[in-house]
Amino acid sequence: MTLALEGVRLIDFGQYLAGPFGPMVIGDLGAEVIKVEPVTGDGMRMATKPFFGCQRGKRDIALNLKQPRGLAIALELVGTADIVHHNMTAGVATKLGIDYADCKAVKPDIVYCNTWAYGLEGPLARFGGLDPLYQASSGLEHESGAVHEGNTPLYYRFGMCDASNAMLSVVAVLGALYHRTRTGEGQEVWTSLFDGGAIYTSDAHLVGGQPAPRPHLDKELMGVGATYRLYRTQDDDWICVASVTDDDFRTLCTVVGVPHIADDARFATAASRVEHRRQLESVLEPRFLTKTSSFWTRTFDDAGVPNEVPFDTRGGEAPLFDSDNVELGLVARYEHLVLGSMRQFGELIGFSETPALVGGPPPLVGQDTRTILHELGHKDPEIDGLIADGVCYEPDDHYAERFAN
Amino acid sequence: MPGALDGVRILDLSWGIAGPLGVLLLAEQGADVIKVEPPGGDPFRAYDGYRVWNRSRRSLEVDLKSDRGEEVFEKLLGTADVLVESFRPGVMERLGFGYETVHAAHPGIIYLSCPAYPDGHRYAQRPGYDALVQASSGQMWEQPGWRTGPIFLHMPMPSMGAFYLISTGVLAALIAREGTGQGQHVTTSLYQGAMLYTTQIWQHLEKSNAPLHELMGKTYPPGVHQGMIFECADGWVHASIMSGLTPTKSQDAILGLDDAPDPFTFMALPAEEREAFNAKRREKFKEWKRDEIVAAFQEHNHAIEAIITPDEQFAHPQLIANGMVKTVVDPVVGETTQLGTPLHMFGTPTAIQGPQPMPGQHNDEILKELGL
Repeated sequence: MTLALEGVRLIDFGQYLAGPFGPMVIGDLGAEVIKVEPVTGDGMRMATKPFFGCQRGKRDIALNLKQPRGLAIALELVGTADIVHHNMTAGVATKLGIDYADCKAVKPDIVYCNTWAYGLEGPLARFGGLDPLYQASSGLEHESGAVHEGNTPLYYRFGMCDASNAMLSVVAVLGALYHRTRTGEGQEVWTSLFDGGAIYTSDAHLVGGQPAPRPHLDKELMGVGATYRLYRTQDDDWICVASVTDDDFRTLCTVVGVPHIADDARFATAASRVEHRRQLESVLEPRFLTKTSSFWTRTFDDAGVPNEVPFDTRGGEAPLFDSDNVELGLVARYEHLVLGSMRQFGELIGFSETPALVGGPPPLVGQDTRTILHELGHKDPEIDGLIADGVCYEPDDHYAERFAN
Repeated sequence: MPGALDGVRILDLSWGIAGPLGVLLLAEQGADVIKVEPPGGDPFRAYDGYRVWNRSRRSLEVDLKSDRGEEVFEKLLGTADVLVESFRPGVMERLGFGYETVHAAHPGIIYLSCPAYPDGHRYAQRPGYDALVQASSGQMWEQPGWRTGPIFLHMPMPSMGAFYLISTGVLAALIAREGTGQGQHVTTSLYQGAMLYTTQIWQHLEKSNAPLHELMGKTYPPGVHQGMIFECADGWVHASIMSGLTPTKSQDAILGLDDAPDPFTFMALPAEEREAFNAKRREKFKEWKRDEIVAAFQEHNHAIEAIITPDEQFAHPQLIANGMVKTVVDPVVGETTQLGTPLHMFGTPTAIQGPQPMPGQHNDEILKELGL
């Protein structure tokens, strides 16, 4: 069977997270991804976990783009590619000689994607930036910490604006690639961390200039309503319920031993339960404390009330060893040349006819330098010279002294 | 200029967040999307925010359980390239439109399923509300907060990952179809959507040699970037030590602190010394108005953002510059301000294709097109 993006080649000039993560996802779909890495290494390598989270399955050539011979090799690679992808800040690609015009000159139908911090133009376009700035500008941190309750804003530790920028770039690149398969035309596309944050709060909108209603967290960060939240149970454990329909609410009240509450006029409809949220929660909270979470989940399951016991991930290890996750291919396992066996999330999208391929481990700096140069037609004596002159790099006996992974 | 998906027809049977939003990114690349909803409409329409996620498509109100509905839908399938559904595994089969049946009659169709959990997982038949997937996938335990224990994520994180997987899966299958001529079953889930966001934090490594592992870990009280959040006289800001630019004056000098170490020396100080200095910074920030410290920092090339409410975004000069603040006249509430399409494509421009449709608004038009 062929892979969904079989035969597609992407050149990844990105570093850190919001650049490289998109190419990794495109690589999972079967494209060949070549990471062009500085001879000094990607600036994110020292933080092994986040770096590895964005690099699996890539081939790696280490090039100094600031040297004319390094740039020439990069453009040779672009000439063989379908997609160029990076997250350089304003003006950098032009200065290096790999902006859209440069790449189009060597590959007229190239799909070229730049993932920016803020955007192509505008008052802040000159800035680079990190994920937290866009958790601020989108309103995420305001909502996640319940600032309206007098709390401090809260940063989500998933780095989701990086991921959002990367995923927007995947969607834009694949749209452009589809257009190219139908018309033969390439194009330039861009996305940003800033827009990537905004899409997470895209249900927020103004009606006649005024904010439309939106649910908010309570001060204790339990949930967004009395019937859609966490409750503390016996032994300092937890359960999450989602009994949003009238029927499920009635059943929940019966199960926790306060059936009369469902007949209380204050709680009769979804709208009135929002209005009298605190009163309802003050009735339900002490009930949940009387039993264990395992008792509640069994009883709610039997009665048909949607519920779940929050899963303690043990620092992210437990889901990677969960038997269902492993069996369904949701966990990827690799042997890394320096750090041994490793696991991370696996297949996120399944294809019945063109299966996604979860490739190899994150590459070492310049792991494929020589092979890729051979493919471009360069001979060993020339390659040895390029490496001796610092134009290229391939792993040598001193690798462990220079790089963390 | 036509969009990248010009001429591609998508039947959207999905409810909730992930399906409608995943389809939105395809609709605004020019796909012709028909929302197929039951009599009375998709039940999620009760949520105000749905008018954004549900825009740029037509609506066909039809009862798939009736003979007439079955006939209409069968005819519609004959015109479609893509079907997107988000029911629990088994529901489409019971309606008579499971993948095998549809694929046999229409082998070119790309059939995307996004239930809460993957088929075959022990959770597959459990209820699929976003909050419950936050709980079962472990994301509530991963997020630190102002108390110990699991934290409810205001952002519907599993859905907000899955919508990207839907758009991506459909596009990859469309590209593959250009080569094979065949459709296929593309599957993802809210659970996999949650996993998308574990890329920086979940990893098992046999050997670990990176001190930054601990810095990135979950802590109580919350750590990592939380330390750069500061309260001002009238609000909050999130500052950053990196801006990609060369600062013309240090952050501490702008704040009025003159005995400050440089940011990289500061990072290497023992925690108590960092905290003592941060306490001084926090006092200084309180002397500034939010928007004034933001302007002063940016003027000197420091990256910083005010921590605003989601509604305040629409006045953000960069959101306006990105062309992301749009007026949409909604059929229910009239003039609204909504987020634009965050895909900037020069060759195939994206655009909002219209407001959310009323349930069944396009029944006559679509039935006529089908010759019914």
